[in-house]
Amino acid sequence: MALFWEFFTFELKLRFKSLSTYVYFLLWSTFSFLCVASENFGSIGNGNGKILLNAPFANTYNDITAAFFGIIIMAAIFGTSILRDFQRDTYQILFTKPISKFAYLGGRWAGSFVTTVFAFSGLMLGAWLGTFAPWADQTRIGPNHLWNFLQPFLFVVVIQIFFIGSAFFTVAALTRKIFIVYIQGVALFMIYVIGITVFSATRSLERFWSGILDPIGLLMLDGVSRYWTVIEKNSLFLTWSPELARGVFLYNRLLWIALGLLALGAVWVFFPMSIEALTARSQGRRAAKAKELELLEAQPVRSRVAARLPMVHQAFGSANTFAQYLSLTRLRLRNILRDIPYWAIVALLVALGINNGYFAGRIAEQNVWPVTYLMLQAVEGNATLFLYIVATLYAAELLWRERDTHFSGIHDALPLRESIDWLSRFSAIVIIELILLTVAMLTGILMQTVLGYYHYEFLQYFKELYVVTFPQILTYTLLALFIQTVVSNKFVGHGILIGIFVLMPILFSFGWENTLYLVGQVPAFTYSDMNGYGHFVPALFWSIVYWLAIAAALGVVSVALSRRGSEDSLGSRARLARQRAPRLAPLAALFLVIAATAGSWYFYNAHVLNEYLNAKARRHIQADYEHRFKQYENLLQPKVTAVDAVINIYPDRRSFDGKVRITLQNKTGQPIAQIHLTDQKQSVSNVHFDRPFRLLTSAPRDLYSIYALDQPLAPGETLTLTSDVGHQSRGFRDGNELPELAYNGTFFDSDYFPYIGYNRNVELDDPRRRREEQLPSLEEMAHRGNPAYSLNNIFPIESDWITYHTVVSTSPDQVVLAPGYLQRQWQAGGRNFFEYSMGSTHVLDFVAYISARYQVRKERYQTPQGDVALEVYYDPAHTYDLDDMLASSRAGLDYYQRVYSPYQFTQFRILEFPRYRAFAQSFANTVPYSEGMGFIGRVVKPTDIDFTYFVTAHELGHQWWAHQLIGADVEGSNMLSESLAEYSALQVMAHKYGRDLMHRYLRHELDRYLRGRSGEVRHEPPLALVQREAYVWYQKGGQILYTLADYIGEDKLNLALHNFLMEYRYANANNQVDAHDNTRALAATDLPYPDTRMLVDAIRAQTPPELQYLVDDGFNRIVLYDNKAISATSQKTPDGKYKVTLEVQARKLQADGNGAETPLPLADYIEIGVFSGKKDEEKPLYLKKEKLTEEHKTFVIVVDQAPTLAGIDPYNKLIDRIADDNMIDVTQR
Amino acid sequence: MGASGGSSVALTISGLSKTYPNGVRALKNVSLSIGNNMFGLLGPNGAGKSTLMRTVATLQDPDSGSITLDGIDVLRQKDQVRRVLGYLPQEFGVYPKISALDMLNHLAVMKGINSSGERKEVVEGLLQQTNLWDIRKKALATFSGGMKQRFGIAQALIGNPRLIIVDEPTAGLDPTERNRFLNLLSSVGSDRTVILSTHIVDDVRQLCPRMAIIAAGELLLEGSPNDTLGALSGKIWSKVVATDDELRAVETQLPVISTHLVGGQHELRVYADASPGSGFQPVDSSLEDVYFLNLSQQAQRPHAS
Repeated sequence: MALFWEFFTFELKLRFKSLSTYVYFLLWSTFSFLCVASENFGSIGNGNGKILLNAPFANTYNDITAAFFGIIIMAAIFGTSILRDFQRDTYQILFTKPISKFAYLGGRWAGSFVTTVFAFSGLMLGAWLGTFAPWADQTRIGPNHLWNFLQPFLFVVVIQIFFIGSAFFTVAALTRKIFIVYIQGVALFMIYVIGITVFSATRSLERFWSGILDPIGLLMLDGVSRYWTVIEKNSLFLTWSPELARGVFLYNRLLWIALGLLALGAVWVFFPMSIEALTARSQGRRAAKAKELELLEAQPVRSRVAARLPMVHQAFGSANTFAQYLSLTRLRLRNILRDIPYWAIVALLVALGINNGYFAGRIAEQNVWPVTYLMLQAVEGNATLFLYIVATLYAAELLWRERDTHFSGIHDALPLRESIDWLSRFSAIVIIELILLTVAMLTGILMQTVLGYYHYEFLQYFKELYVVTFPQILTYTLLALFIQTVVSNKFVGHGILIGIFVLMPILFSFGWENTLYLVGQVPAFTYSDMNGYGHFVPALFWSIVYWLAIAAALGVVSVALSRRGSEDSLGSRARLARQRAPRLAPLAALFLVIAATAGSWYFYNAHVLNEYLNAKARRHIQADYEHRFKQYENLLQPKVTAVDAVINIYPDRRSFDGKVRITLQNKTGQPIAQIHLTDQKQSVSNVHFDRPFRLLTSAPRDLYSIYALDQPLAPGETLTLTSDVGHQSRGFRDGNELPELAYNGTFFDSDYFPYIGYNRNVELDDPRRRREEQLPSLEEMAHRGNPAYSLNNIFPIESDWITYHTVVSTSPDQVVLAPGYLQRQWQAGGRNFFEYSMGSTHVLDFVAYISARYQVRKERYQTPQGDVALEVYYDPAHTYDLDDMLASSRAGLDYYQRVYSPYQFTQFRILEFPRYRAFAQSFANTVPYSEGMGFIGRVVKPTDIDFTYFVTAHELGHQWWAHQLIGADVEGSNMLSESLAEYSALQVMAHKYGRDLMHRYLRHELDRYLRGRSGEVRHEPPLALVQREAYVWYQKGGQILYTLADYIGEDKLNLALHNFLMEYRYANANNQVDAHDNTRALAATDLPYPDTRMLVDAIRAQTPPELQYLVDDGFNRIVLYDNKAISATSQKTPDGKYKVTLEVQARKLQADGNGAETPLPLADYIEIGVFSGKKDEEKPLYLKKEKLTEEHKTFVIVVDQAPTLAGIDPYNKLIDRIADDNMIDVTQR
Repeated sequence: MGASGGSSVALTISGLSKTYPNGVRALKNVSLSIGNNMFGLLGPNGAGKSTLMRTVATLQDPDSGSITLDGIDVLRQKDQVRRVLGYLPQEFGVYPKISALDMLNHLAVMKGINSSGERKEVVEGLLQQTNLWDIRKKALATFSGGMKQRFGIAQALIGNPRLIIVDEPTAGLDPTERNRFLNLLSSVGSDRTVILSTHIVDDVRQLCPRMAIIAAGELLLEGSPNDTLGALSGKIWSKVVATDDELRAVETQLPVISTHLVGGQHELRVYADASPGSGFQPVDSSLEDVYFLNLSQQAQRPHAS
């Protein structure tokens, strides 16, 4: 024991004398300090605005992350503790002494353990200190409790250190090779990353075993806290309780502690305490090799008289210079290519590429074709990291190789120019990088082939990998070579490089977004199949040239400073540099001139031609708008009743111009003396009214202008506003290019037109950004029935309904569309002109212009209510989904016309637009649909969700739910559009794909709802009061309505919706003057729009009394069930049937907006089912909605076949946070 | 016998001084003239030999002084020197995973031998000469110390260098290897400038027509081994003493230049014009005596210069 103490204290003394221990401590302190003190650092800080930064969940998450990235530190401490003896050969001395295994191994291990725990304890200190940072977001910092920091540290970090450290210790002790220890660290890291990728790509919702088997804890934490609400995240700990997420955390910890113990057991058993055993294995091979050579050596010696060496010719011209370059490059390349680590990197790259490539066609829940940009994303995404790692490592290796191998004495005295020497090192790295890029490309092509996608776009591979990525790698390589030349220690150089690499995104998130000082960066860009690299090319090109030229200049400096000879002091190197300077200076100057030119041009474009605004500045503009003009939100304004626009689009200039003529009518009971205009996009100019007026005030950027009419607009009176609109793109920007304007695929909407009054959509909605700008919490939407707000519809507020007419032109090779029927099409002045009109049909004041080089698939669809022209405008390469879109359109038209009302238009058009934005949006009879989410959809297996079909049906549904019926500008109204469109699409889907598949899909929708509420930044509203919560109006809304249809009957619910629609559609559409009708002027006062109360009433009317509770639960409350199958046994009866005894548990809870739960009494109908069949393909033998009134109930059910599965609410029709435990295997008795 | 070489002076070193940043004065105003033959540079470890050699081999610059090689300013026209230089550093390593053949071929390219035929000829010749032929395809990293040293000499000889600098080449070689190496060196060293730095006196005696002794950065002696030996003739006296006490007694009285153990007894040598006392026998002087005498004389001088 004394000896153990000796080793233990020795290890500690050594470690605590070493600077590295304190560096680690400081590193983790800084990390957790920033996690708390900065909102722009770490996932928690950047994430949900209500999770306290010093609460248990935040600390646990940060601790897990730190322990993950800290693997390499654990390897360094535990691995080297034992390897030290073998690297320095002290083991020869050590093991001749009488020391016990326990003392030696135990002392070393315990010392390392304590050191590592100390190093990581910086996490607690940093987080605690962070809470005192004066600039920290105090609203997100709760009271400091020691346990909040200590518990996660003990239960996560210390246990991680225990078992990961022990694993490293064991491997180090048994192999005694540092290389293997590092490989083990890298392998653990990579395999974990791959594992997580694979697991998430399978889209499994399994969170029990995956959580237990997770050695790092990211999946485990997700499994445990996936549905935790804000309150829970701010108060709950991961505890040992077997009740917590079915004990995932407990079992996970037990498993990994056990494996840690096993590792220690292994080292105890297998570590030999004798020198022979220790040397034999590590030196066996080397000894054998030397012996072999000695045998050769013993052969007869040739004559001792030395023969004369042949005379040779030496020439040192340019031919020799080139030969030297080639020979050196070849030699260096061979050195790398014969090295295992390089091929290990290649193998990892291929493995990752195959893995990610295999899942390239999976976007969230959708399966798509692995088009080249997706495949490139998959194979290049991770590869990029490898490319940088390779550049970092090999730049140092190549620069230091002569010194490391002590060959520099010979090498430096060779008649070789420093520039050639340097160039060959650089070339060797370039070649190994090119190999990696090519491997990535081949992996991508291979995986496209494997996935059955044969439309190889080699040119795109080439551009992305060799033209866009490769120069950035070159820049980084040059930088690496420079740093390694300047610093005198390889590892310091690595540290600086990694620091630069990590610092750039951090600087960016802190608002330092300028490409010109973010070392080696290029502005963000997106490839689109429609538009290629499009308008991103110039900014990319110039930023690449800029940084490459700077890096090349540094490369020249590196040549000047390159080490040669035996003196490394700064003075002597400066002297050498001065000698070399005359030859190199012109080249350096040339590169600097290129850099200055490219930089100036970039600056001129990004900062002079365009206004440069970082994210914070852009937010500040929004905040300023709200600060100054929120006061006018309720000002009475006339409403837009007609829009007539002449628009000219110039796709090749990414510009458009035009004139709009907007008819306004005073639909209030009061005269209106001022007209307020918002010009959100700075696109409006030259505003005129058809009567005398003057400009009262106008804000900077013309965001908000107030005009005074000499004669106030009387109630019912109309007014015409005309203005120029347009946007001229000038040069390029430093990122933040407008996605609306593209060479091919222009798509902008009426946001570019003048907006009447204050526009709430400009407001910032992220709570922490609002606090940053000293704005109060985002205002709640008005209550239903609010007399003022009920007179406006929810979108867009400035108008009721409009008539719409437009003439639009574009370049001769493009087609441009806008809502409306094509009236005329002609060519003039080498441009294509189109005239569209909605005639007298009322539409929402929400129009768009879409221009691109399209192919069209057209079809006339006959419905009982009349013909509809179906048209899909698509990129010629994207033909995959056309039939699907048309089929969905037909099915939707059938269903909606049958159950809701006739379709109000005679055309329905879907138009593809570039994937700079990923959504589909429903304008009147016109649906722009992003190439990023449709057009490449793919349904392979029968269980795949046909997203294209679903989204098409959803958007078509909006032609009823929004374009026929729109709710008031009050809480809840968003669901009238979104939930009802979602429900409509679910039914259309169900009719095509069957109810079983829908249950599968809804299971994922349930997951998304529960995760959505877990990330809620304000408070979760009940469905009927939803405000801005997309997870409520899509996922919960769809689920509630679909389940309601199941409970009360699809026909009943549809009847309710039909009644609701017919009573309230087109509110305020006919009491106004528009372009076609001047007769209704007298009755031009707005009436209230419908809201969710009317919908709920309509549904109530069709719901039987015993199920009325479902309507309350679904719409007016947040209700959660906790249903669970406890046990199920079956017994064969004498008559050949099976008697199943099933015990279930059912609980019902109500949550408030923050997630605080209270139990609700149970008197609910819940399905009880018994199933049989193969796993995942079970068919029900018995399925019945039973009324449950108490928490536990036992059912005895007789079925005809042998049952395999039984339980409660088998299809997850009710909202249940643990959906997996509803079913249980039936045990036969 | 007699004045060595006779050939004209090829390498002129004059007034070379070097002080390292840590304060060590490695060279103090060293001047040397070296002709077209083998030149031995003797000195103890740390004497400044390697500094001198590296300076001549263009690997570092002196603080002051100049070096010319056949009219080339070695300190400025480094590339010119490197073209005619063969250098074997005191310690060197090799790249992993490269064979002797490949490496020599590569170095031949570096030395400006552009014809692949000539390259093959010279590389194969060198491999034969250095007895590395049979293992030419083995990785250099697996070579034993002796093999590596022979590879070192082979690479130094590529391209018929005018100036060959070999720094402590026989350190670590066994006697057979050492002899073989010296043979090779003498066979190539007859018509060019070869500087052999060593602390082994025998190496110089066997090979070098001219030599210099350097210690603590200072040039103590320059001349031919025979001349210097002649100067000591009859002035070296030897005595065998049995115990440490006796040795100590003699040391305090006489300028002992060296002691050897012979069969467990101390044989000590004293430099004196006449017999220094009882028990002393006159002995033939050896180069080693020259060496030790110079070292001990330097040690006794006050360190002023």
